[in-house]
Order: sequence, then structure tokens, then C-alpha cells
Amino acid sequence: MTSLYIRDRWFEDIPVGEFHVFGSHTFSELEIVEFALVFDPRPESTDPEIARNNRWRGLVASPWLVTSMWMRKMVDYMEVYAQGVNDGRRNGAGVAIRDLKWLEQVRPGHTLTYTYEIIAKPDRVIRDKWGLICSRNEAFNQYGNKVMQFEIDILAERAAQA
Amino acid sequence: MATSTEPDSYLTSTSIALDSGSIARFAAQFDPQPYHLDREAAANSIFGGLCASGWHIAALATRLTVETLLKHGIAYVTMTSVGELKWTRPSFVDEQIGVRLTLGERAGDSPIPDTDRLDLLVDVHNGEGDIVATMTASAAVTRDPTAEEVAP
Repeated sequence: MTSLYIRDRWFEDIPVGEFHVFGSHTFSELEIVEFALVFDPRPESTDPEIARNNRWRGLVASPWLVTSMWMRKMVDYMEVYAQGVNDGRRNGAGVAIRDLKWLEQVRPGHTLTYTYEIIAKPDRVIRDKWGLICSRNEAFNQYGNKVMQFEIDILAERAAQA
Repeated sequence: MATSTEPDSYLTSTSIALDSGSIARFAAQFDPQPYHLDREAAANSIFGGLCASGWHIAALATRLTVETLLKHGIAYVTMTSVGELKWTRPSFVDEQIGVRLTLGERAGDSPIPDTDRLDLLVDVHNGEGDIVATMTASAAVTRDPTAEEVAP
């Protein structure tokens, strides 16, 4: 039986080829600076005055802020559909990512739109219970340029259990 | 482009305590799922206890990597790509997150103009002998002769 709730779905319910545009976010100068002060302290991301005369002629976001926001948008999207799941989630815990590239700088006021597509379901059983779902994830800015891409493997519980 | 960093030399970072406040702050902003926010829900989850977001660990590893590179005179500009990032175990409250860096190839084909590409292997540990994540990454570093000397 296929569930409408994304996080309620078993491994077997999640189809290769499924594609979602799952969220957008406009980055503010404040959140770029606050993130960088803690995680990526360099003047290009922490000090608008210094950044103005530096390499990118203005403040740019830490690449990891762009990627962390991917997670936030994904959670917001999926948790809407998580009602009815009382035993934790049947899918979603990340195991590994591959081929993460940051292709363009993200500046204050830029709006990114995040997408994912299920691209593979490797034939593996992990700890007797879980399958792996592989998706391609991308972020595009307001000009339509791709600024980030990566693949991620997440765990999804298999329905067929002894 | 000549390389001046010796392959297989290790650099060791300081560590950052993963206190419950920092786990909650990151999770509230970027990864608001029960196993990062709520002790009881976390105890019954796949992770078995309240633990940090994997993206929090990646960001902390980046902070420690940047500090360590700069301390050794390598002029980090930005991270440009990650070949693979694997989370090998959850990171729980009060673990001491640190990194061990293995410097790899340095070459002239960085996507950022006027920088070199420096490949890095980042082993993230928790202060108790466990590796919590491993990451292969490429950073852009300033192409400056005075920045190319690495302390032994």
C-alpha cells in the first residue's frame, strides 16, 4: 500500500525518477554573517566592509550555509507529510553524500530553489531492516544558474520483514 | 604546478565541545527533527539518543579545517567540493569534535581564479577514539609563495 505521507513510506514505496521542487530561500546578510562567524570565519563571509574590496567584491555565503539550508528546506517539506508516523521516521537518515560541488557564490538577497530526484535504489539490506535511497539534489539561483549539486544516500525501512 | 605540501602529512586540530545548546541551536535553524531536538524522541529513534545533525558535524569540521590550515600557513579561501562525506556514527552531547587532516595533491586547476586546488582528507573524531565522519574535500588556497610552506 502506498502512503501519501512522504516520511511514512517504506523503501518499496519510493520510486526511482520521483522529482520534487521542495523549497526556496532568500539569504540575508545577517544569516550569512552569523553562520560564518561560527563555522567558516573568513572576512568574505563575516565582514561586509572588507568583503567589498576582496575577491568576490561583496559578501558571499559559506558553502556550508547553502548546504545546511538544503537540509532545512527538506525537513520543512517532509515533516508536513510526517503525520501519523509514531515510531520515528521510516526514511530520511543520511548515511553519505557524494560529488558535492558549489558552483557559484551566493550573496545577500539571492534566492535559491532546491530540487531532488530519486536516482537509484541499490540492492542492499543494512542491519536487517533498512534499504538505501539515492537522490540527486540541486540548488538554482534566481538567474536559473545551478549553484550546488550533490548526491545523498538515505536509509529507508524495508517493508518485507520476517 | 609544483606541489610543496608533502602527501600523507597529518595536521591535527584543536577540538570543540558539542554542548547541548549548540546541538539545539543548529538543529532549530537547519535540521529540526526530533532526534536532534527532543531527548525522549531521540531515545526511541534510529540514533538511540540526542545527537547532532550530520550537517552540524560537517560545518564544525570545516571550521576546524580552516583554523588548522591557517595555523600552518596555508591560505584557505573556500571549500569548493566534497568527493564523499560519510557519517559513520552519531555524535552525542558533550563529545569533543576534532579533525585530523591529510594533505593531498596541490594543483593549479582550482575553479576559483588565482588559487590552487588543495585536496584534503578530513577525519572527524569525537575525542573518545571514534571516527564520526570522514570527508574528502577540495579547497581553494591562495597561490602565494609565502603561504606554501607547511610546518612539519
